[in-house]
Amino acid sequence: MALNEFLEQLQQLATEATAAFGQADSLDALEAIRVEYLGARQGRLKAAQKLMGQVESEDKPVAGKQFNATKQEIEAGFEEAHQRLSGSGGSRAADPTFDNTLPGEAVGGGHLHPITQTIEELKDIMGRLGFSVADGPEIEDAWHNFEALNIPAEHPARDPLDNFYLATAGAASASEGEAPLLLRSQTSNVQIRVMESTPPPIRIISLGRVYRPDTADATHYPMFHQMEGLLIDEQVTMADLKSVLRLFATSYLGDDVHIRFRPSFFPFTEPSVEADFSWNDKWIEFGGAGMVDPNVFKAVGYDPEVLSGFAFGLGVERLCMRRHGVTDIREFYKNDVRFLHQF
Amino acid sequence: MLVSWNWLKQYVPLEMTQAELEHRLSMSGLNHEGTRPVADDLAIDLEVTSNRPDCLGHIGVAREIAVLWEQPLTLPDPQPPASSPAAAEQVSVTLQCPELCPRYTARVIRDVSVGPSPDWLVQHLTTIFQPLNPDWQPVNNVVDITNFVLMESGQPLHAFDLDKIGGGQVLVRQADKDEPFTAIDHREYSLGPGICVIADSEKAIALGGVMGGADSEVSGSTKNLLIESARFDPLTTRNTARALNLHSPSSHRFERGVDPVGVEWASRRCCELILEIAGGELAEGIIDAGEPVSEPAPVVLRLSQLKRILGIDVDPGEVTRILTALGNQTAAGGDGELKVTAPSWRRDLTREIDLVEEIARIHGYDKIPEDVGVPMAPSHRTDRDRVESSVRQTLLATGLDEAMTASMVPGSWPECFTAWTDQPPISSRTPMLKGADRLRTSLVPSLLEARRINESLANPVIEIFETASIYLPTESQLPAQQWTLAITSGGDYFRLKGIVEGLLAALKIDLPLQVNEVDLPLLALSRSGELSLGDQRLGFVGEVAPQGLKQFSLRNPASVLELSLDLLAELAELIPQHRNQSAYPSISRDLNIVLAEAVRWSQLEQLVRAVAGNELEAVDYQETYRDSEKDGADTKRILFSMTLRSQDATMTGEHADEIRENVVAEIEKQLEGRLLS
Repeated sequence: MALNEFLEQLQQLATEATAAFGQADSLDALEAIRVEYLGARQGRLKAAQKLMGQVESEDKPVAGKQFNATKQEIEAGFEEAHQRLSGSGGSRAADPTFDNTLPGEAVGGGHLHPITQTIEELKDIMGRLGFSVADGPEIEDAWHNFEALNIPAEHPARDPLDNFYLATAGAASASEGEAPLLLRSQTSNVQIRVMESTPPPIRIISLGRVYRPDTADATHYPMFHQMEGLLIDEQVTMADLKSVLRLFATSYLGDDVHIRFRPSFFPFTEPSVEADFSWNDKWIEFGGAGMVDPNVFKAVGYDPEVLSGFAFGLGVERLCMRRHGVTDIREFYKNDVRFLHQF
Repeated sequence: MLVSWNWLKQYVPLEMTQAELEHRLSMSGLNHEGTRPVADDLAIDLEVTSNRPDCLGHIGVAREIAVLWEQPLTLPDPQPPASSPAAAEQVSVTLQCPELCPRYTARVIRDVSVGPSPDWLVQHLTTIFQPLNPDWQPVNNVVDITNFVLMESGQPLHAFDLDKIGGGQVLVRQADKDEPFTAIDHREYSLGPGICVIADSEKAIALGGVMGGADSEVSGSTKNLLIESARFDPLTTRNTARALNLHSPSSHRFERGVDPVGVEWASRRCCELILEIAGGELAEGIIDAGEPVSEPAPVVLRLSQLKRILGIDVDPGEVTRILTALGNQTAAGGDGELKVTAPSWRRDLTREIDLVEEIARIHGYDKIPEDVGVPMAPSHRTDRDRVESSVRQTLLATGLDEAMTASMVPGSWPECFTAWTDQPPISSRTPMLKGADRLRTSLVPSLLEARRINESLANPVIEIFETASIYLPTESQLPAQQWTLAITSGGDYFRLKGIVEGLLAALKIDLPLQVNEVDLPLLALSRSGELSLGDQRLGFVGEVAPQGLKQFSLRNPASVLELSLDLLAELAELIPQHRNQSAYPSISRDLNIVLAEAVRWSQLEQLVRAVAGNELEAVDYQETYRDSEKDGADTKRILFSMTLRSQDATMTGEHADEIRENVVAEIEKQLEGRLLS
């Protein structure tokens, strides 16, 4: 076959294919056209490739080069048609009615209460320091809430006006005011329960609601949350207490924090201290702490000659308020959803 | 408690700056709360913890300063001259209630000139009284002296006009029921047994340990005095002060306990100052009724305990210095031991550990390091914690926010939702908030109140939950605490039921959820249900009935749900076990069944599961449709689909049809339903 005849056929093929692809109006139609021209076994391009065998050998290089160019042109024509037909609406054109700044579909995630979030963080930090969570009842008897904590009958902490004693059958006379059951005033009752039923070493935190009569105002509420830690073993010292508090405070604040003790008094610890931590060159109150009083050990059946331990406690609301800038404690219990959504 | 800088200087040199003093006292046990200038003096506010009544006077604070700065402490040694006739001949004292008043002493001074106090005395008292009470004025020299000695030593004193004591008899007794009494605050009080009064032959003339009486107070015309210095029982004093709502610097000190030796010292000191300032003659002797002062028992301090408890070494010389400067007597004990006898004003030092604390606080807690290595230990996350976390995650994902409400509620709330118990709730003797004195037996009313608050703020979307304890009365006194979840939503019954089903799925609880009719007035009659798992009650769900909405002042529809988390925690599968999935594809078949209205979906579903067997992978409710014209009255059509899959092979269409036919046949037989073709 003469070279220019071959080349003419290629030219014809390219023109027809381009026209056909350009006129395709659906993906199905396009597919048919593709098969006609580019089909692997019976496509017209394939047929043209076979014709190339009939060209003179000295013309073959030119023929081959033109063949490749034609192939590319036809394939490009197909691609273009394919893209045109794959866009939505059949053509890739601007859609002025589509506003891409409109809000997306709402994903409705709820919010955990900020007190819960604070507690979870405290549990997390203390967990990494090897303290497990212990649980206990909110309604307590006088032994677990007072006596075992070295708070004898005459102590002002037991005053009926300072506790939520329950009105149960068989309660003592009104003037004595000493009912056997009350809502716990600290979570130490849980620690007593753990100690009386578990041999040492003990390394726990107790968390939860505690109750103290108080008129509700911006900084006081008759119900709040406490976290108390307890570590009992042989040879536990106040240096261990200070070090654990430092580890805790540093973990909580993410920066190097120092601890300071100021002497104080709690019936269940001796020595007793108020612990402060340093932040931004100021000392901030952390909470009460101390070495567990030997009388508490005796109450739960531990030997204070063999064991020693420390305890510390902090108020969750106070911590939460300081971290998040909440100025009125009553917000936590009002449950305005706009407040809850801020955390 | 306020102390005066100038006054302190009488007992100990103050060569440090104000800031140094304030800081060091805070670091050793007297927390500094503030300082205010008063004339040319400073009123320093110190917090005195209840175990340190010895610091409720300037001498006690001065002693602390003397120990910290290693300065000498200069104390008055009162030795007032006395003459006959003896006090005991001029007045009689009978102590009838030693359990309320363990010791009562009295001295007598005749021919005093009651008048204004000298400037130095007025200035000292002004510094410590005026900041708290701007209207404070000195009274007269005798009364001012008793207040001075009170604030100097911590021992409360009282001066009576001796001539106003009827019959020259002082009777320390219990008050009679409804016995009237007018205190020096000129208020009337009605007393009763359990209250200690100082009385004469006719009536009560003072409230023991709390306040003197108006009738016998020392006035400008008083000539003769009885000076009382006594020790009143702490608990009695506290109960009296609370019962009468009458607190005083005296009651404050008796509640915490006074120095038994100081009782007599203060009496002598007071008399000496009165003689100096108001003149008069002191009668010989002191009338002293009640228990003699007992010697404190010595305590052995093993020096090794300091390292054991504090974690630091303290030089034994320093240990002895501190203890001695604080007023203890120290003697060598066994090897490495000290025998320590506490002074009479430190009744709180009874054990070795108490002495360890004294040494620590004076030596300085700053000496205790904060960087010792604490051994690592495992900590185990409890199952309850995992369940709680899973529950919260599920609820947050459905768009619920977590609320927290008070554990005590008004009495009307438990009455309106008696889902868990029909017993009346446990009451507290003191309400938590106004009107709220019942321990709640359900969280639902509290959440509806939270709903109301949000509605009042026009918050449009109120989807909240709470997990907390409810307190269910039992046979015994101790109520059962049930860990409970409650939800309130603006959505309908099916929104909340869907959440229950979601929780069961999240906790991998396989038991079928049973729903039964329930009649709870707060909830709509039909659009509510009691939920069970097996034969255990899980909880309740329902739309709030119109009367319930009204009761809680709610404008918009609401639904509520309450579940026992204790039960969910018990049944939860926290570590799911893998089961092999079939390698073969599933086939689904739809069924459209006409049934009587009364037939429940749960009956239909149960039947399908039973008949289709273990090749039934899922049965999914689609919808309910009614066409009474075609099907007749009281009928409905339920459309549902079955997903079928075999473990061993690809299920054939024929086999799926077979299963479908069996199901249809049973539906016809057991439920009188028929397939719509």
